[in-house]
Amino acid sequence: MSMLSTSTPSFAFLRSRWLGCPLALMLTSTWALAQDKRWGPGEPASDYGYRFGELFWLITTLVSVAFALVVVLLIVPMLRDRARPGHRASFDHGKSLHDKRLTAVISIITFIVLDAWVLVIAMKDLREAYWAIPAAKDPQTYKVEVLAQQWAWSFRAAGVDGEFGTPDDILTTNELVVPKDRPVSFNLTSKDVIHSLFLPEMRMKKDLNPGAINLAWFKPVVEGEFSILCAELCGFAHYQMFGKLRVLEQGQFNEWEAEASQLASTAFDADDTEGHWAWDWQE
Amino acid sequence: MRGISWQGLAVAFGALGLLTSLQTSEDENPHARAPRDVSLVVTEGAWLRAPGADWFAQRAKAEPGRFTHDATAAGGAGGWVDSHGEYSLSEIEGEWAYWQWASAERLTDGRQDFVQFCSSCHGLNGDGYGRSGQHLRPTPRSFQQNKFKFTKVTADLPSDEALLSVIKRGLAGTPMLPWDLSDVQLLDIIQYIKSLSPEESGWRDVYSQVGDAIEVTEDPWTDTKERAIVRGREIYHGAASCHLCHPGYVTNEELRVIRKDPEGTTYRENLTYPALKDSEYEVLGRATKVMPPDFTWHQMRAGTTTADLFQTIASGIKGTAMPQWKGAISDEDLWALAHYVENLIVSYKDQPAARSAFMGGLRVSGDNK
Ligand SMILES: [Cu+2]
Repeated sequence: MSMLSTSTPSFAFLRSRWLGCPLALMLTSTWALAQDKRWGPGEPASDYGYRFGELFWLITTLVSVAFALVVVLLIVPMLRDRARPGHRASFDHGKSLHDKRLTAVISIITFIVLDAWVLVIAMKDLREAYWAIPAAKDPQTYKVEVLAQQWAWSFRAAGVDGEFGTPDDILTTNELVVPKDRPVSFNLTSKDVIHSLFLPEMRMKKDLNPGAINLAWFKPVVEGEFSILCAELCGFAHYQMFGKLRVLEQGQFNEWEAEASQLASTAFDADDTEGHWAWDWQE
Repeated sequence: MRGISWQGLAVAFGALGLLTSLQTSEDENPHARAPRDVSLVVTEGAWLRAPGADWFAQRAKAEPGRFTHDATAAGGAGGWVDSHGEYSLSEIEGEWAYWQWASAERLTDGRQDFVQFCSSCHGLNGDGYGRSGQHLRPTPRSFQQNKFKFTKVTADLPSDEALLSVIKRGLAGTPMLPWDLSDVQLLDIIQYIKSLSPEESGWRDVYSQVGDAIEVTEDPWTDTKERAIVRGREIYHGAASCHLCHPGYVTNEELRVIRKDPEGTTYRENLTYPALKDSEYEVLGRATKVMPPDFTWHQMRAGTTTADLFQTIASGIKGTAMPQWKGAISDEDLWALAHYVENLIVSYKDQPAARSAFMGGLRVSGDNK
């Protein structure tokens, strides 16, 4: 007699109603935490933000269903074919042609249903949102040049004259003010290492690479204060590299822009050429 | 298979590598590229000017076994002697002064942390022109200049404690962060930074005084804040003439009444905007300009509580147009100024509607823009 038939492992705990408790607790607490803005992503504040929610829930649902299915397919044969008094454990390695065909069919269906489905929607999102950089010529487009460094964000807006590299360019550190309901377009680069501009509420994230200018955009549709974070580990004080994004209603924004431009012109030092770091807008 | 010779490819790659390593690039800007031979070791220690007798008396209380008072020292004035040999009292050119010994090991520790944490902006030699500090305005401090903003110190030089609190608090609205390092690390960095100062800057000068941040005296206006704000407004536009550099928060006519000037007097153009000022802070040998803040708009660097504002106004900001006001006006008026400025910040900063109503009102009603 082999060990298999003498020792009978107990699976009684699987039938225990207590097993449900930790599982239920895990699920409800995950759900509850996701409702809180501090733990979950919160409501999107940009016009394309809803796409991320859609894609997120699509992937989560598909993966959850697939996971549940795999768990059932694993546990049922484990219980059905286990060793127990009067029953020898049975198993095979799936070497038969039938098994190989079955595996292939399951794989192909999984790929088509899961990956292709997600891919089609993701490509649509990329085309219609992520890559749909607004035209720089459009007067509605609010352009911002971003220069990242260890460990701060420098923002430059063109000011009321709409031209970069002029005295009225609005320069801010760790704070960005943008108009509501207008597309905000970024030219992004870094002085030192790779950083990543992350506007979680706007569902926007883009790396900043030294020596290259990257493009990104979003359109805020909610007024208020939001976060600016660095999403690329960039050194010792990476965790302190954050700022404030303020979205102002159009009328208030115009006033803000006029005042900021005037103050910038006052602060402009024509001889300090090293301090004038604007570049030609890249499209 | 003929066609590709792997040996040939390897030789080609090797040659390419060799060529790249032989290529020398002469950069016009000496700071643009980090030098490859960065030494992390400081070989010589330094005697640096230490705080005075009061500080030693306090230290002696804290560590009774270590410091002993010698009545005959300092030409009979009496002085403290440190049994560890870290501090000393000595006579240079007939003047007695306290000195602090920064050993080569300590400066080396400071140098290593400086290179890791500070040099990206402040430069590998502390010249204020590191890779990440370029293009920044205001510029990062050059430690070769020995001028420190926002230490809130009125003495010639800031004490270790004063510098420590600047580094730990950071400068709001700039890339100078609140640094989250241990006190031991920070104090080592501070000794190293002081050793970068030029010979004549005071750290080796017996006559220079080392002081702590200015004392926060008792606020005489705690129960009469409204009156403090009215008084502060008068001092701001009157005795202290803050409106010469910072914005005036009054109309031309109101300013004339406050200053008791004859009718028809006009003041500087753009009275409700700040005026750009020269500073002593240099980048690559060129002094940069500094914009005095508009309290209803700009971020305060060194705190926005009444006590913070009191200290900043009282001590002034070294190397800029902001003078020391302690002694020039009474403490009561200093506190009134602090209350007035705090009120401007609380009422208007980041509140676009309230601010444009306030500033717009001054500009529309008046002869000033
Ligand atoms: Cu970063």
